[in-house]
Amino acid sequence: MRRLTSLLILPLILVFAQEGEEHKAPSFTLEDVDGNMVCLDSLLKDGTVLISFWATWCKMCIKELDALKPYAEEFDSLNITVLAISQDKTRSVPKVKPFASSHNWTYQVVLDPDNSMRQLYSVQAMPTFFIIDQDKQIVFTHQGYKPGDEEILIAKVREMYEKNEEAEQ
Amino acid sequence: MRKTKKLSSNAKINTYSKKITHTQKPFSIFNMTRNVVLVSIMVVAMNAKGLRLSGGNAAEYWVYIDEELEALNYKEHLEDKLQLNLTNEEIAVRGVFFISDPSLPNPNRLSHIDYSIQYTKSPVSILYGRFHETFARGLVLNQYIDEDFKLDNSLQGLKVNLDYYKSLLTLLAGHPRNMFFEENTYRIKNANDSTAQIRGVDFRTKLVPMTTFGASYVRINTEIDLTPKSFTELFGGSIDFKSGPFDAYLEYARHLGAHPGVGGRLDGYGVLFSAGLALPGLGISFQAMDYDSIGVGGPGYRYNEPVTPIKSGTSVNRGTDEIGFGASILFSLSDYIAFEIDNNKISTHDTTLSRIEQMFVTNESMDAVIEQAIEIIAYPRYELEITGGIEKLVKQGIEAPLETKTETKPYIETIYDFGTWFIEAAYEHNFTSADTSDYYDQAIAVAIGKPELFILTLRYERRNRAPQWLVDLGKIDDDTTWPLAELSLDLTARHNLRIRAGAEKGGLVCSGGVCRFEEPFKGVKLVLTSIF
Repeated sequence: MRRLTSLLILPLILVFAQEGEEHKAPSFTLEDVDGNMVCLDSLLKDGTVLISFWATWCKMCIKELDALKPYAEEFDSLNITVLAISQDKTRSVPKVKPFASSHNWTYQVVLDPDNSMRQLYSVQAMPTFFIIDQDKQIVFTHQGYKPGDEEILIAKVREMYEKNEEAEQ
Repeated sequence: MRKTKKLSSNAKINTYSKKITHTQKPFSIFNMTRNVVLVSIMVVAMNAKGLRLSGGNAAEYWVYIDEELEALNYKEHLEDKLQLNLTNEEIAVRGVFFISDPSLPNPNRLSHIDYSIQYTKSPVSILYGRFHETFARGLVLNQYIDEDFKLDNSLQGLKVNLDYYKSLLTLLAGHPRNMFFEENTYRIKNANDSTAQIRGVDFRTKLVPMTTFGASYVRINTEIDLTPKSFTELFGGSIDFKSGPFDAYLEYARHLGAHPGVGGRLDGYGVLFSAGLALPGLGISFQAMDYDSIGVGGPGYRYNEPVTPIKSGTSVNRGTDEIGFGASILFSLSDYIAFEIDNNKISTHDTTLSRIEQMFVTNESMDAVIEQAIEIIAYPRYELEITGGIEKLVKQGIEAPLETKTETKPYIETIYDFGTWFIEAAYEHNFTSADTSDYYDQAIAVAIGKPELFILTLRYERRNRAPQWLVDLGKIDDDTTWPLAELSLDLTARHNLRIRAGAEKGGLVCSGGVCRFEEPFKGVKLVLTSIF
């Protein structure tokens, strides 16, 4: 009976999670690798926020963040903040800042050693990417990474800004 | 031999479950009420203004061969975890619906509904229900979740945070539940101590520039204690200093409690130090630790979790008697090449040596894990990435019945990105020397994928011979080849389906100092993850 219930739940979830369903992003405040407190609401005052859940042991997460490096200038010009939320446990916390620095990442890197953020955003797989607009809506969610996925993410960001510009005009 | 062992452990679990059922009976109505309240809150709240419902789901279904079974030679495993979050600006309600249902006969079917209700209005946050919490780096309290490793150490109770003027005060009280996946089933590792209470307070302040001072206190009350009126206390302090590219951290903790098994007062300590340097293209990190009876918990679980320096996750005895260090250097010479070098070690103490020698030296009297690794990543062209490296892992007195096991693994992998699709190829060769028995494993993998669509991976692994000591353990069969195919399919950006078919060799896998023996697997696994 339980198995049947579980199997019935699955299609419901698929229906629930249709593309284009926007919902508000949960607020949070986390400490970054420099010891500063980073608040999502404050970041959104400056512009869109891209959130990436990553870890030093997650190869695909690193590939994804490396692949986004060439777009750093474009992100700056569009007032986009990339927030890399490290899922490293206490063992790897001392390594996070040197790791990000050695990869020449300019992203804001924050720590979440007890994985509470992963719970809050219901992240099921690593990496997972969210685009949060200034209205605090999650406008795009993406699980996993394959080489080339960054193009889809960038296309989504550009499309979002074009829409905003058209709306302003 | 193996069956007898399994039966006896099952019998033990049956005794526990009987005990728990008996003690929990009076609360069954409360549980029913709780569920109704939870559903009511969700239904009512969905109609209220400004609310949002989000969540995720992870479902797994396995069918696999079990050659030991006589009548039916396959087993199944089903698990599902549905998370729902209902939030508005100040209130967050969270529910986790979990079911794990392995094939019969198996007494370890587990299902539960976890919930939490949190009210947040600056500067206060109040949470009632199930939560995770780590004080500092975990020497005093570390109830955390590692979903990738299927470990969930949580507390059911009350947590209050006061965030005021560069300072954070945390007060908590709760009952711990340490859940872990092993032998193809989930177990509540602290089932014997499910009545244990944890009370704790943690204070952090950044009043001094560039420095965070912290202090923590935890008291653990257990129903069963050999020392009358004895309770366990953990307390400690930490200093975290950050200045530009440099940071340093020191944590000291004490443990006052009762000796497990024999009773009497126990006095333990733990020291953790780390330092890091982060410059563009260069990262250096170092950590050192010294633990004596600081790990608190029972067989296979800890309420705190002393840090291990070992990257592959192994520890010696999880904070009972450990000393060691970890050093890592990462540097990028240019946009074309990057290096990572790791040298880590943890061992038991040898008091005939000085403390510094104990930290860096390993001798025959110590149980120890030594890990050394070097990795080079080259990008000869924008589309091409080549990674090569070698890892060496020495375990002394860690994997019974072996005295020493040494694994040396050179590997190479390459990815070529054609834009609209990509190809990946990897090869690894693992030379193992286990006491007097030498053997090696080889693995080759090829993957092809298309962004936003799929990755198809074919992997073939072989061992030159089945070592007798491993067969004698009764945990593996004498297979020497393991072919495997995996298809990872992006159904949409929010749904991923993984289908894995073939054989997996199993073995010891570890994360954060916690290890389990994964049994060999022959069959099919389906994993569907969704986020909404």
